[in-house]
Amino acid sequence: MPKIDPETQALYDEINGMIQKFKDDQKAKADCTLADKCGDMSDVTKIRFNSKKILKGHINKVNSVHFAGDSRHCVTGSLDGKLIIWDTWTANKVQIIPLRSAWVMTVAFSPSGNFVACGGMDNACTVYDVNNRDASGVAKMVRELVGYEGFLSSCRFLDDGHLITGSGDMKICHWDLEKGVKTMDFNGHAGDIAGLSLSPDMQTYITGSVDKTAKLWDVREEGHKQMFFGHDMDVSSVCYHPNGMGFASCSEDQTARLYDLRSDQQIGQYEPPQKNTGFTSCALSTSGRYLMCGGIEGMVHSWDTMKQRHTGTLSGHENRITCISLCPNGMCLASTSWDQQVRLWL
Amino acid sequence: MVTMNSEADKTQATNATLAMSSAEKQPAAESTSPLPKSPPATAAAAAVAVTTECSAPAAASLPPVPVPAAAPAPAPATTQTSVPTPAPEALANGNSNANIEEVVVAIASTGAGATVNGGSVAVAGGVVTSVAAATPPPSAKTVNVRDTTTSAGVSGSSASKSSGLLTVSSNHHHHHHHQQSSSSSSQQQQQQQAAPSTVVVQSSSQHQRNNKNEDAPNILVYKKMEAIIEKMQAESTGVAVRTVKAFMSKVPSVFTGADLVAWILKNFDVEDVTEALHFAHLLSSHGYIFPIDDHALTVKNDGTFYRFQTPYFWPSNCWEPENTDYAVYLCKRTMQNKTRLELADYEAENLAKLQKMFSRKWEFIFMQAESQSKVAKKRDKLERKVLDSQERAFWDVHRPMPGCVNTTEIDIKKAYRRGGSSHGTGSSGASVAKNPVEQLSRIIALRKQKLERRTIKVSKAAEALVAYYDQYNEFDYFITSPELPNPWQTDSTEMWDTEKNSKEVPVRRVKRWAFSLRELLNDAIGRDQFTKFLEKEYSGENLKFWESVQEMKALPQSEIKEAIHKIWQEFLAPDAPCPVNVDSKSVELAREAVNSPNGPNRWCFDVAASHVYHLMKSDSYSRYLRSDMYKDYLNCSRKKIKSIPNLFGVKR
Repeated sequence: MPKIDPETQALYDEINGMIQKFKDDQKAKADCTLADKCGDMSDVTKIRFNSKKILKGHINKVNSVHFAGDSRHCVTGSLDGKLIIWDTWTANKVQIIPLRSAWVMTVAFSPSGNFVACGGMDNACTVYDVNNRDASGVAKMVRELVGYEGFLSSCRFLDDGHLITGSGDMKICHWDLEKGVKTMDFNGHAGDIAGLSLSPDMQTYITGSVDKTAKLWDVREEGHKQMFFGHDMDVSSVCYHPNGMGFASCSEDQTARLYDLRSDQQIGQYEPPQKNTGFTSCALSTSGRYLMCGGIEGMVHSWDTMKQRHTGTLSGHENRITCISLCPNGMCLASTSWDQQVRLWL
Repeated sequence: MVTMNSEADKTQATNATLAMSSAEKQPAAESTSPLPKSPPATAAAAAVAVTTECSAPAAASLPPVPVPAAAPAPAPATTQTSVPTPAPEALANGNSNANIEEVVVAIASTGAGATVNGGSVAVAGGVVTSVAAATPPPSAKTVNVRDTTTSAGVSGSSASKSSGLLTVSSNHHHHHHHQQSSSSSSQQQQQQQAAPSTVVVQSSSQHQRNNKNEDAPNILVYKKMEAIIEKMQAESTGVAVRTVKAFMSKVPSVFTGADLVAWILKNFDVEDVTEALHFAHLLSSHGYIFPIDDHALTVKNDGTFYRFQTPYFWPSNCWEPENTDYAVYLCKRTMQNKTRLELADYEAENLAKLQKMFSRKWEFIFMQAESQSKVAKKRDKLERKVLDSQERAFWDVHRPMPGCVNTTEIDIKKAYRRGGSSHGTGSSGASVAKNPVEQLSRIIALRKQKLERRTIKVSKAAEALVAYYDQYNEFDYFITSPELPNPWQTDSTEMWDTEKNSKEVPVRRVKRWAFSLRELLNDAIGRDQFTKFLEKEYSGENLKFWESVQEMKALPQSEIKEAIHKIWQEFLAPDAPCPVNVDSKSVELAREAVNSPNGPNRWCFDVAASHVYHLMKSDSYSRYLRSDMYKDYLNCSRKKIKSIPNLFGVKR
């Protein structure tokens, strides 16, 4: 280890001092706990969702799912090299899109339902137009966004023309899909970006990363606005609170947490009853009362976010759950797993 | 580099690896060399550890217990003989005898000092080479030649028919020590082609592990776990392994969960029983110890019996067993004693799936299973029990029962991050800024920002969450059921059709408009109503302006410029046809943005738009909510649906 020169040391000290200050600051603001505050609220019941439908068709691990804005269609991506667009009401396949690379890690449906995007180990993000077919009758590929140095781990449409991606090379990129050009590209985290969640008003977004932090960004700017700590291991997924004032995150450290943007700190922590599973993906119900997390042991856990009580598990998957997605109207939860199944819970 | 992560780092890491590394307080027990049980007097320096009652190889009723030899460097050779060999007549195909001979040759030549495995052995001092010709449990290709593919001409496929457990591993630095033992064991082997017996010659305290494995994902954890397992198996200081007499039968080589937990509490720096249990659970979930009659790999602090896994099946050997192997195993299970070894439901399902998948080569799988089963029947009863259970535990690790975590399968993203992929390096390859001072200054600047930010108290945040919940719980399907049939459960699309029809808007939805302007504008019908209201008030241009700005922002870059000018002309320019009520400062900002030398960007009207939005929110919106128009609408829909079902008794 090279000797640290005094200047650097001074900076280190300053930073450590500041960290201490944050902690004091947070403590000062933490005049009560969420659980105390919500102590007199009535309890919510055990989560009463059941696995109502199993969407069968993938023949390899399914890695990602995302709902369209109509709350009816969803897209799933699997290591069998296919995207499948499902009509979740009927459990029928609407479209199957064969991919150039089978290594798909993330998928996104545009809110309008016109486009789907996917990407993964091919270090690219591909956008398909669901309403147009190419010569062979499959959805037309409209954009192939390249230039990543790591796998694509998350992507979300702002609208039909704009896309934000997070990738394994720690970068956050903004794309103009009409032109197919990158409009922004910057280092977001000190580790792979693992999850991305857009705020309800589409003005800001949260990213979660392997560097154990989550950050808040403005869609217009490059620098992060806020940064959140607490997890002991990789943050695997984040989910905006529907009120736009906070977000939930889940991690491999076997916890899920709730952060508040305005008080700039963690206000809730959730653990499975037996500490036996890390989490890969999280979602919040419409009122923000229930938090659901997909676990690597194959269960979806749910908690009462307010009283921080575990409110049951959804069991059915036989292997790691890779992704869960709640449809925009909050009625149906889709989950994907390594057991090759996509399940709908309602 | 100091980042804020350090905060997280400082927090007590509870994960297993750390716990383990810090937990060891017992000094590495020098393994003594008690009863040398290997047949020929082996090398003088061979530290031979025998775990239990048997002293003659013939009586080997033990599982191939790993040798807990923390032997000193110069002479790390331990020799252990156990487990009878395959009956050659059980070998399925004819050339198998030849294969055995080949193996024997391999042993002999190892013994003779010729490094059979060629250069690969000599990679690093003390590297252990292992030529493992194993019982088929895990694989059809039972001869598992780790390290080199060329070892001694033992070809995987041909040897696959040999069902004996023959593991020879020798440290090439010390082959002369082995000379006698290995060659004599090979003689034995030759002699005993009729009389079954297997030779497990294991040398050095290191277990079969090759260089390739050094990069394996969890190898560090495995190593730590294995060190602990070795301690547990130490003869006098380890966990007491017993053969328990049950009614009419014996349960060989087991220990109880309570014993194990007590041992952990005694030997490691763990706080309480819970931690010890968790620790034991981790060892178990990786398959180092397993309950003798349960598929769920976990440890209970009671009288349940557990057994040690043989080192051959340890996850550090980087097993990636294939489905065919699994099929053989399951198939074999069906041939054995039905009552005791009946397949669990999930196993039966898996078997059915596999049978479908391998329909064409099922005959082959069946034959293989049959031959293995025959071999098994020849074994001593107790020993068979042990081997069967170890094999089962192996599959419980690699094909866990539903609801259990598969500890060996790794997330592809992680594999990628370690640089296992040729495509890229992930974050591991990323460089940190070269100049630490610059980097740190930047961090400090960011931290300052954080300090300056005004934050609210947690109580306020909590109140906001509660208020939000109070407002929205009736729209949360998790809490309140919808009034209309759910399209996922029924075939009726009534719910969706209704939404399209503005005459029948459920009262819940109308109520929601009152929550915030955003809610109102998010609802197509709500927005429609609000537009009508504004028109009546002659202030429709505000909403129109706001809407056109939102639309413009979603346009493709090519059309942005034109749209911006249109908006400017229509709403903001001095002579605009429908001017919006915006303060002069915002107009000035917009003017600058529109006329900026770099061309206008899509956010140029944001300030003005948000000004207008707030205007609408504080003025028109609240008036709309008080208006008869809204009230009528609300009452109208209320008449249609009398009450909102509150099925779950949740207080609102």
